[in-house]
Amino acid sequence: MTTTDSATRPATATSTLDLAGVSRWYGNVVAVNDVSMSLGPGVTGLLGPNGAGKTTLLHMMAGFLAPSRGTVSLDGRSTWRNPEVYRRLGLVSEREAVHTFLTAYEFVLATAKLHKLPDPQSAARRAVALVEMEDAQDRRIGTYSKGMRQRTRVAAALVHDPQVLLLDEPFNGMDPRQRLHMMELLHSLGDGGRTILFSSHILEEVEQVSGTVQVMVAGRLAASGDFRTIRRLMTNRPHVFAIRSTDDRALAVALMAEPSVGGVELGRDGLTVRAGDYGAFTRALPKVALARGVRVHQLVPEDESLESVFSYLVEA
Amino acid sequence: MPEPTGVIHDIGYQRYTGPRLGRRYVFGALYLHGVRTAFGLGRSAKAKIFPWLVVGIVLMVAAAVTAIRSQIGETVMTYAQFADSMSWLVIFFTAVAAPELVSRDLRSGVLPLYFSRPLSHADYPLAKLLALVTALFLLLGAPQLVMFLGAAFTSDGMGGVWDELLDLLPGLLYAGLWAAVFASIGLLIASLTGKRAFAAGGIVAVFLMTTPVVGVLSILPAQAANQLAGIASPPTLVQGVGVWTMRDLLITDPDGVVPDLGPFGPVYALAAVALVAACVTLLLARYRKVAAR
Amino acid sequence: MTLIATESLTKVYGGGVTALSELTVAVEPGIVGLVGANGAGKSTLIKLLLGLLTPTRGRIQVLGLDPTVDTAAVRARVGYMPEHDCLPPDLSAAELVTHLGRISGLPRTVARERASEALRHVGLHEERHRPVGGYSTGMKQRVKLAQALVHDPDLLLLDEPTNGLDPAGRDAMLALVQRIGTEFGISVLVCSHLLGEVERICDTLVAIDGGRLLRADHIAAMTTATDVLAVEVSEGTEALAARLAALDLPVGREGRLLLVPLADQGTYDQILGAVAELDLPLHRLDQRRHRVAELFARRESSHA
Repeated sequence: MTTTDSATRPATATSTLDLAGVSRWYGNVVAVNDVSMSLGPGVTGLLGPNGAGKTTLLHMMAGFLAPSRGTVSLDGRSTWRNPEVYRRLGLVSEREAVHTFLTAYEFVLATAKLHKLPDPQSAARRAVALVEMEDAQDRRIGTYSKGMRQRTRVAAALVHDPQVLLLDEPFNGMDPRQRLHMMELLHSLGDGGRTILFSSHILEEVEQVSGTVQVMVAGRLAASGDFRTIRRLMTNRPHVFAIRSTDDRALAVALMAEPSVGGVELGRDGLTVRAGDYGAFTRALPKVALARGVRVHQLVPEDESLESVFSYLVEA
Repeated sequence: MPEPTGVIHDIGYQRYTGPRLGRRYVFGALYLHGVRTAFGLGRSAKAKIFPWLVVGIVLMVAAAVTAIRSQIGETVMTYAQFADSMSWLVIFFTAVAAPELVSRDLRSGVLPLYFSRPLSHADYPLAKLLALVTALFLLLGAPQLVMFLGAAFTSDGMGGVWDELLDLLPGLLYAGLWAAVFASIGLLIASLTGKRAFAAGGIVAVFLMTTPVVGVLSILPAQAANQLAGIASPPTLVQGVGVWTMRDLLITDPDGVVPDLGPFGPVYALAAVALVAACVTLLLARYRKVAAR
Repeated sequence: MTLIATESLTKVYGGGVTALSELTVAVEPGIVGLVGANGAGKSTLIKLLLGLLTPTRGRIQVLGLDPTVDTAAVRARVGYMPEHDCLPPDLSAAELVTHLGRISGLPRTVARERASEALRHVGLHEERHRPVGGYSTGMKQRVKLAQALVHDPDLLLLDEPTNGLDPAGRDAMLALVQRIGTEFGISVLVCSHLLGEVERICDTLVAIDGGRLLRADHIAAMTTATDVLAVEVSEGTEALAARLAALDLPVGREGRLLLVPLADQGTYDQILGAVAELDLPLHRLDQRRHRVAELFARRESSHA
């Protein structure tokens, strides 16, 4: 695969993006409120309901917008109005006019020249290849589908080989194949040591690209890190599992005796178990089933997905 | 004591089994909606200001003319002359109403919601056109009706009322001609852009820019060119048709400047018909394209 | 009755672009997902269904009618929710939906009543008398859905109904679409790029790729169980893999999942036994299913 060759090429140095007590307000409207986070190499998803301040946060990270309070720094240097930072960071914003009369190659080349790269032609060719747009690179952008335009913009953001790539809703308007492709691209860029942050509303996709998330709710940073770990920290929410076995009723009775189990519901399609203590229950279940001679056919966590974790965070 | 009773009513989704009305009704609904829109009815208070200002002015003029006639006995203007003297108000009204009728829909992207309904792509522009024609006709016709009522009440006997009516009818026909020509030009221009300000400017510009052409043509040293000059601009074109068909009703001042049509009166009439036909054809073509987009 | 039937349906545009090519498909009533790699085919199909375009070749039938011939009859029974913004900002939802109800042929009072009901069913209440311009994205999507529902269609065409919605808004919209398809008894054609969404709410799926039919089938048939078990433990994955391998089970890895071929019922016991012995927290034990995404997993380098 051509993508991975150049993308997973070991990066010369990795970068860390740090936010310390960052707030941004417009008049009385607080868009981002006291956010501190540290982003290292790999892919991170930026999540939040509409209007949570994700775009404002991305723009501050990219140095396009000054924080009202706090600092955004890339490897210790402030990003705000710092040309040095622009050389090491790329931003793909959500809506941006692409010049429809240019071809993808011309557009990426123009960006390369703007960055004053030593060899803009080969940089443009490399970036176009990275997003696999070589076949269409000489057609006008006006003739492209949404997904192709989006990839063109990613190519432009990557042309100067930045260590940090920020993307606002990169999957928007893409068809299934283009989405798969973009996911693979982000994956490989992250594996190659780049620091990637992308916002998205499609949680199944975020889950596929990255387990690491930053969740914004109404301007505040509600949670950071691996979403499974975040789920374990919600000790006030019982963990719900669906179980099917050869003898659901016997298993239900046995499980009710376990202190880690808060409730068992016997349905037509099996059991629904609410466990207060995740660790104790998941360790106990195999033993209980084996002891009773019940064969477990299915054990599925019902509220462990990123979707459930997200909705718990937003509701809280 | 009666038994306590209780009932849970079904307020879930209900299928509709009643009548679904046909094309004529749908056209009528869109047409009526258009007429209302032209006068800002069913819209915000801001949208009502201009149309009703114009309506107020024309009605006031009509009332004044009627009052002068009944008090002094002097006829300030005939029914037909009323339309002529209000031409600038008609242009402004068109410039505001036409974009309100079509540009707004282009802008908001609501057209796919119309064209996915049982409405042919020709019905939409035709209903809008008819609505604008009606609005302009009402604007010019209603004041004439006021003048007629004033005159009828002060005239002596049925004979006087009959004479007034014979004067009113050509006046209303003339108002209809104004309405048809201005509405078709105005709506066509407005259908080209989703920006209401552009559309309004475009409409005023067409009427404004063609006036100097008439001026230039009428001073050329060729009599035929002078006599045909009026065709170059919609207001003078309509006036030409009027002068040809009802000269006595339009020219009451023997010393005034009289447009000289020479033998070309029928040409004016043909040109007016051709102009309206061309505008309607282009309008339909425009919406055939818009509907399939 | 067949909901939608096409036969060698082909649409070539003036510029020589082939949007649909020899599409033959028959779709039964229910909630149908329409997925397409490369958007052109999808929007062309919607326009053909509504009689806004005529096919270059082939035939198309909606609810047993030909939309190119019985255009008005088809449109009276179909509701369409476009993808893009289509709401005049200065009108209230109630006014707009009532007006569009009349344009669909509903008598005046019926249009008013049904508009009010349609807005209630999509979850718009007191705000329906305020101008649409001030609505959130989620509320606008609901108004778009209500106007497609006001005349009680037999088929709803929804173009990317969750576009621009955040997770909570998507959830609500999907639940609503599912209710319309089941409770209301209206067939729905949902165009979506999100396969997860389609898998969740649709009964059948029509996948188009480059204007050609990729596959048309029941979702259930595309997500059948495979004979591979997926095992996930929240810690000790390596130890479990080693133990299972020691039991002569051919263990595969995929992310945090261990994949074990399901040889017979005994496999369940072997796995459960290994987990219990190692005292590991068992997070998931499940037969793997095929996914709709597999349709598109094979990448093609050029998509012009």
